[in-house]
Amino acid sequence: MEETFYDKIFKPKTYTLENGKTVKQRASRTPIVLLLVLVATYASFRTTGADLSLLLSRGHQFFVIIIGMIPPNFKFISSIWGPLFDTIQMSLLGSLAGALVAIPLALLSSSNIIKNVFVNGFFKFFLSILRTLPTLVLALIFTFLFGLGTMAGMLSIFVFTASYVGKLMYEHIENVDMGAFEAHESMGLTKVEAFRYAIIPEVLPTYLSVSLYAFEGNVRYAAILGYVGAGGIGLVLNERLGWRDYPSVGMVLLVLMIVVFIIERVSEYFRRQLS
Amino acid sequence: MNEAVKLQYNKAPNRKMYFAVLTTIILALLIWSFLGVDITGFDEKGTGLARNIVSGILTPDLEFLFDFSSQGVPYLLYETIAIALLGTVFGSILAIPISFLMAPSVVKPPVAYITRLFVIFIRTIPSLVYGIMFIRVTGPGAYAGVLTMSITSIGMISRLYVDVIENLDRGILEAMTSMGCTTYQKIRYGILPQLFSSFLSTTIYRFDMNLRDATILGLVGAGGIGAPLIFAMRSYRWNEVGSILIGLVVLILLVELFSNKLRSRLVSGT
Amino acid sequence: MIEFINVNKTYPNGVTALSNVNLEIEQGEFVAIIGLSGAGKSTLIRCINRMHEINEGTLNVDGVNVSQLKGKQVRAFRRKIGMIFQSFNLVTRTTVLNNVLVSSVPELSFWRKTLGLFPKDKKVAALEALDKVGILDKAYNRVDQLSGGQQQRVALARTLAQNPSIILADEPVASLDPVTAKVVMDDFKRINQEMDMSILINIHHVELALEYADRVIGVRKGEIVYDGKSEDVTQDVLNNIYGSITEVPHMDDPEEAEV
Repeated sequence: MEETFYDKIFKPKTYTLENGKTVKQRASRTPIVLLLVLVATYASFRTTGADLSLLLSRGHQFFVIIIGMIPPNFKFISSIWGPLFDTIQMSLLGSLAGALVAIPLALLSSSNIIKNVFVNGFFKFFLSILRTLPTLVLALIFTFLFGLGTMAGMLSIFVFTASYVGKLMYEHIENVDMGAFEAHESMGLTKVEAFRYAIIPEVLPTYLSVSLYAFEGNVRYAAILGYVGAGGIGLVLNERLGWRDYPSVGMVLLVLMIVVFIIERVSEYFRRQLS
Repeated sequence: MNEAVKLQYNKAPNRKMYFAVLTTIILALLIWSFLGVDITGFDEKGTGLARNIVSGILTPDLEFLFDFSSQGVPYLLYETIAIALLGTVFGSILAIPISFLMAPSVVKPPVAYITRLFVIFIRTIPSLVYGIMFIRVTGPGAYAGVLTMSITSIGMISRLYVDVIENLDRGILEAMTSMGCTTYQKIRYGILPQLFSSFLSTTIYRFDMNLRDATILGLVGAGGIGAPLIFAMRSYRWNEVGSILIGLVVLILLVELFSNKLRSRLVSGT
Repeated sequence: MIEFINVNKTYPNGVTALSNVNLEIEQGEFVAIIGLSGAGKSTLIRCINRMHEINEGTLNVDGVNVSQLKGKQVRAFRRKIGMIFQSFNLVTRTTVLNNVLVSSVPELSFWRKTLGLFPKDKKVAALEALDKVGILDKAYNRVDQLSGGQQQRVALARTLAQNPSIILADEPVASLDPVTAKVVMDDFKRINQEMDMSILINIHHVELALEYADRVIGVRKGEIVYDGKSEDVTQDVLNNIYGSITEVPHMDDPEEAEV
């Protein structure tokens, strides 16, 4: 048993059995972890000014807007369709383009496909950096570059999808059993043929499933992109919230909920077929 | 060719129709979505702006990056971590009862179904809308961000908790019953140890995600590093944007590295 | 005929896998290669179809000097040699038939092999290969739904569809239970007798080796230490191949355990 730094401070207990064997029990890590979490939580309370009593005294304010949304303004639906379709269209296009670009990125990152540590490392790092950039910040930058509208929203979804699908796929590709690839080479297939028949059938279902999942999330996410002017239903949502027109906000949320629910069910159905 | 082979050859499932229909639908959707998004190039200011952005991010405002007062990047990052952490703690505590109410093996199917619908309902409302609602309660600031994070975390955390609850190893309970354990002992020594590490792993994962999401909240005034970031962007101070982005990227990468390590240790148990 | 003449093989990390190997295997023989793990059994058979390169010596297969083949020639050469693996090495997320069809990929036109459209005669040949190993009825099942024994027979059918003259098998029954192992070994025996294919098999189970093979080759630390009929293998021969067992773990040491 290797003694870590922790074991040097908190000595393991030693038990001696009747037959002379000794057994060491490491001191449990749980107390110190709990202590750290508690300290961090306390510090966070101080920093954020969180105050639970405020929830009791002013909590009802939270429901003011919700109550304002009921009943939703059903007449508003005619102004929702256009932006709603914009949102779906930009998620669809961004997800599709992102998923396609993710393929070369994932292959270049996989150490069992491209056998060059520097290339793998570079693309893995590139994907990580892309993933850390908040989508909303990307969308804002794109509105500066491409003007306000769905193009900016589509591009930020595209970047996010490429990085998300790219990362999940290289992790999957690196874990694929290379046995079939070896077998195909032993049958006289070229490396490209072996890749086509050994690796692709193994990763394709996962790829499609991950891409669908990304699309699901993107529709939900695209709804807020309008906040920074990147088109879609978020624009309407932001505007109506600003005017305190809560019944219309309620209608937007209701429609959004139904659409997201339908898309999730359809996507879940296909993802289940794939696995 | 013998009879059995011929028979089996003719049994080949014909999925051409299925694939044709699917391809048509996908193509139609693709064309439709192309129609909706007006593909534009850079607008006239775009090229010059792109140069400014890149040069600004590459030459960050170092003074701002290493300013340890309450206006500097380090403090803003610290505040963002605090929002994400507290939001995750609240969210995971709230998720425990909800996840038990969602588990078909614990409650009756209708109850589980209604709870599921309720969670979908919570999940669809965009985080920014929650932000605005909570600001009414707490006033602008980090606390509103914490409450928003708590609510938006519930959906994912409870869904993952349910998977853990449904996959509990019931063999242990049987073994404990055979040893004559009481219900309390079965929960304490049979169920909790199984739940604890999986729940913790889920919670750490969500903390990782919340840290990314916490940057958005600044947009509606709910604290964190998002507000200064967006403010700097709107006023074209790209060096400041550079400092904040660098700080954010480094922080998120570090937390991701740490959380992956911790989670793999929790799962493998060493 | 497979012919090893003074073959040596050393890995880049300095491990000697084969040292001065001389062998002659006639067409149609059933040969079992036995020895400890790491003795060089796997290297021995993988050199035959150039999955591994040899460093020194000559290796001829049916009169062809294997080391001198290049690119396309290697692939054409490998078409005549089938290979079976311990872990089956099948594409698990597709159907049994698709796995067997892979053996015909090099013979297809560019478009056919890119799109995965196989002509009728290849499909029939693949189904006939499945029929020969008795799993024709599983043709449209996904491989991951089959048992280990069935998967190894899919791999065997894939090899048969290639119509090789030699089959190399690297621990083909090591992941199977004893009963299934016998079924798969019976398949090998039948193929060997009915189709006159040479079979070289690496195997852990000495009893199975002696029961099925005509000839046994014992490998120890990269050297051939026994080569003869399976009937002539005695306990002494086995002791020589496997060495005397000295490394018995001592149970009376004070042990540390994690609780």
